[in-house]
Amino acid sequence: MEFGPILRAMGRNKMRFGLIVVEVALTLAIVANCVGLILDTRRELSKESGFDDDHLLSVRSTPFDKKFRDEQYIEQSIAQDLALLRGLPGVAAASNTPLLPWQGGGSSGTLKEAGTQNEPLRTQFYGGDDGTLDTLGVAIIEGRNLAPEDVQIDPNASSFNVVISKAYADLLFPEGGAVGKALQGARADRAFRIVGVFDKFYNPYAWNIGPYGLFSGTTSGSYAGGTHYLVRVERGAMTEVLKALEERMIALDDGRNVRVQTIAEVKGNFQRSMKTVVLSLNIVIGLLVFVTAVGIVGLTAFSVTERTRQIGTRRALGARRVDVLRYFLLENWILTSLGISLGLIGAYALNMVLVTFVDGARMDWRLLAAGVAILWATGFGAALGPAMRATRIPPAIATRNV
Amino acid sequence: MLGYNLWLAARSVRRNPVLSILIIGGIALGITIATSFITLHHVLAQDPLPDRSSRLHYVRLDSWDPARAYPGDAEKPIPPHITYPDMRGIMKSGIPARENGGFKANLYVYPEKDKGRPFRAVVRLCFSDFFRMFEVPFAHGGPWPESADEGPEQVIVIDHATNDTLFGGGNSVGRTVRLDEREFKVVGVLAPWRPTIKMYDMTQFAYQEPEAIYMPFNFVEPMEIRTAGNTDNWKANTDNTPRGFLYSETAWLQFWVELEDERKVQEYRDFLEAYVMEQKKLGRFQRPLDVRLTPLPALIEEFQVVPEETKGMMLISLLFLTVCALNLTGLLLGKFLARAPEVGVRRALGASRRAVFLQHVVECEFIGIVGGAIGLLLSMGVLFLFNKSFPFGEVFHLDAAMAGASILLSLVAGLLAGLYPAWRVCTLPPAAHLRLG
Repeated sequence: MEFGPILRAMGRNKMRFGLIVVEVALTLAIVANCVGLILDTRRELSKESGFDDDHLLSVRSTPFDKKFRDEQYIEQSIAQDLALLRGLPGVAAASNTPLLPWQGGGSSGTLKEAGTQNEPLRTQFYGGDDGTLDTLGVAIIEGRNLAPEDVQIDPNASSFNVVISKAYADLLFPEGGAVGKALQGARADRAFRIVGVFDKFYNPYAWNIGPYGLFSGTTSGSYAGGTHYLVRVERGAMTEVLKALEERMIALDDGRNVRVQTIAEVKGNFQRSMKTVVLSLNIVIGLLVFVTAVGIVGLTAFSVTERTRQIGTRRALGARRVDVLRYFLLENWILTSLGISLGLIGAYALNMVLVTFVDGARMDWRLLAAGVAILWATGFGAALGPAMRATRIPPAIATRNV
Repeated sequence: MLGYNLWLAARSVRRNPVLSILIIGGIALGITIATSFITLHHVLAQDPLPDRSSRLHYVRLDSWDPARAYPGDAEKPIPPHITYPDMRGIMKSGIPARENGGFKANLYVYPEKDKGRPFRAVVRLCFSDFFRMFEVPFAHGGPWPESADEGPEQVIVIDHATNDTLFGGGNSVGRTVRLDEREFKVVGVLAPWRPTIKMYDMTQFAYQEPEAIYMPFNFVEPMEIRTAGNTDNWKANTDNTPRGFLYSETAWLQFWVELEDERKVQEYRDFLEAYVMEQKKLGRFQRPLDVRLTPLPALIEEFQVVPEETKGMMLISLLFLTVCALNLTGLLLGKFLARAPEVGVRRALGASRRAVFLQHVVECEFIGIVGGAIGLLLSMGVLFLFNKSFPFGEVFHLDAAMAGASILLSLVAGLLAGLYPAWRVCTLPPAAHLRLG
């Protein structure tokens, strides 16, 4: 191997080879950290609600007619709307609940086991009915679902039956046995009785309460806030349902406006920023590797041109083409590897800056391994072209112009 | 001389088009990425009211549960809003130059007959001072008079888009709009207004659009208007009526004061503390005294309005530009040294080292500026895509400061990248290459 000559050649051109080393090092540091940020964001993006998001619709009715100021009228209207929604062809289930999955928030409260001095624990808290779990596409794993008679009209009732998510049940009762227990919030005179626990729930929310959910059996609707429904459509029926829905709801009662939105759209809006960040970082990585590759091609090509005569001489003295090829690839490999070693330190340094100023994750050795692999491949690929050109230099060139 | 050097530079760029495309393309890419991500951060983080933001102070009072602190990750959490009774209690102290409490609500707007169904509009309830405190621009008319706050009088300010929808644009001052059951007289029409940060209410998504309609705050009681913003309550509330909500311990109002100087700030802080101590005697505010008077820029920081990723991406984009510049150095070094025989001839014919050095620096700056210009154009394309794909609205555009900064950046990159190659080529001994020529 030609380590000796290569190192001596580098020693005479420190600046030029140093440039490539630094460029490779910076590229590795950036790529490893970008991949880190991408993976962080991907992890956030890959969180699933546990609901049948692709087939869910939000229907929001906002009344302007004064008859909706009457609570009894609202109750009646909710019953009519649900009958209409459930009867529409293509609708699998419908529910009156203010939960709007993927809007990035909702309503929440703190609860503890009734009669204890336990610290109250925060959960997302929504009204729900007998159709809520079926609409979301989640299943009861303990106890029973809310029944039609659990759905109360009086917001000031002293007792409500509720179903809670498994995550919240585990939080409240690590020992198990949530079903049958009663919870209380700020008002000691009001109890929430757990009748069932359902398997999946995730709705992004501040305070890290995404997986904690509770549906209390009540109707939800008011003149000022409107009435919200969630609808699950059958596979392939989305377009058909979307077309008919608003018109049918208005035809049923035109003292209001109706807004229909797919949960896929709500989720898309929620994730838009993150998706753009991931895309931008991917593009940055791609361009960066490209620029570095161009740099390596340029430098190797220049090295070859500069040493045309020496290569000719070596060839004339008996070196084979493969020896010339090996020389340049080896030279390049040494440079890339020097850059990579420096880049490993750089990657950790940059990561430290990012973790301090930005809420990023710590560097993972697997990211570095991926970065190293990418750069080795890039270096090799980029040097190959000019190195092949070097092998085509005829030995006769050694005799010219000397 | 500069003209001649530029001519030489242009000729040199044309002589080897592939290499030139790589060289200029590389620097253009670096400038594109750096300009785009710096602009992203610059726009999202810019002070919404540079002239007066430090005078505007946001008021928070810890009226929360005696048993436990307000939930949250903050070191010293405090409710982001104040309660209605507290706003009433601290208004009209006479200390601030201006003050405003408010919230947003959804109200039905009834267009004139045969002009479509009623529609819900986002309305801000606020005081007359609001408009001057936050520099809200008017196209016609102006804020309602302070006297209209008290009545309250049925007057409103509508934004540009609402004016188009309801009246087809033009000066609509004096016309009326029906909100819910009442007729309101338009006293002002806003010019198009889209501050990047909705600085007067950052409690939900801080890059929201401003409201469409503005009406006097004191309609909250007679019209029983409910907030469409966040509400936080810790104490059981047995009275479910709108009035019961208003007089509960629920925190839901954004309250701002404008204080001219440090002395006023101290005076107002003393006033707030005295107010809380007084309330403590009445059995409220049972937590340790905590009164926050936060200037707008500090509040933007505290609410973590600017997405953290943008800072990281800005840093990464600058490193990207550095790689591009290093790359440029390498490529130029090759290019210049390959030209050694030609330089030898120039030197032999009497060109000084300085002249050769200058010639090559000019070439580098030429490359820098051409790459920078291309990068600037490309970054306008990237910003267009940012407008489409980020949920912040159409807020990203290249302003003069950013364009200037990126041209400067490309000149600096060109200079730094070119210094060493230019120096190398001018120090070559001329004779060595003449022989070979």
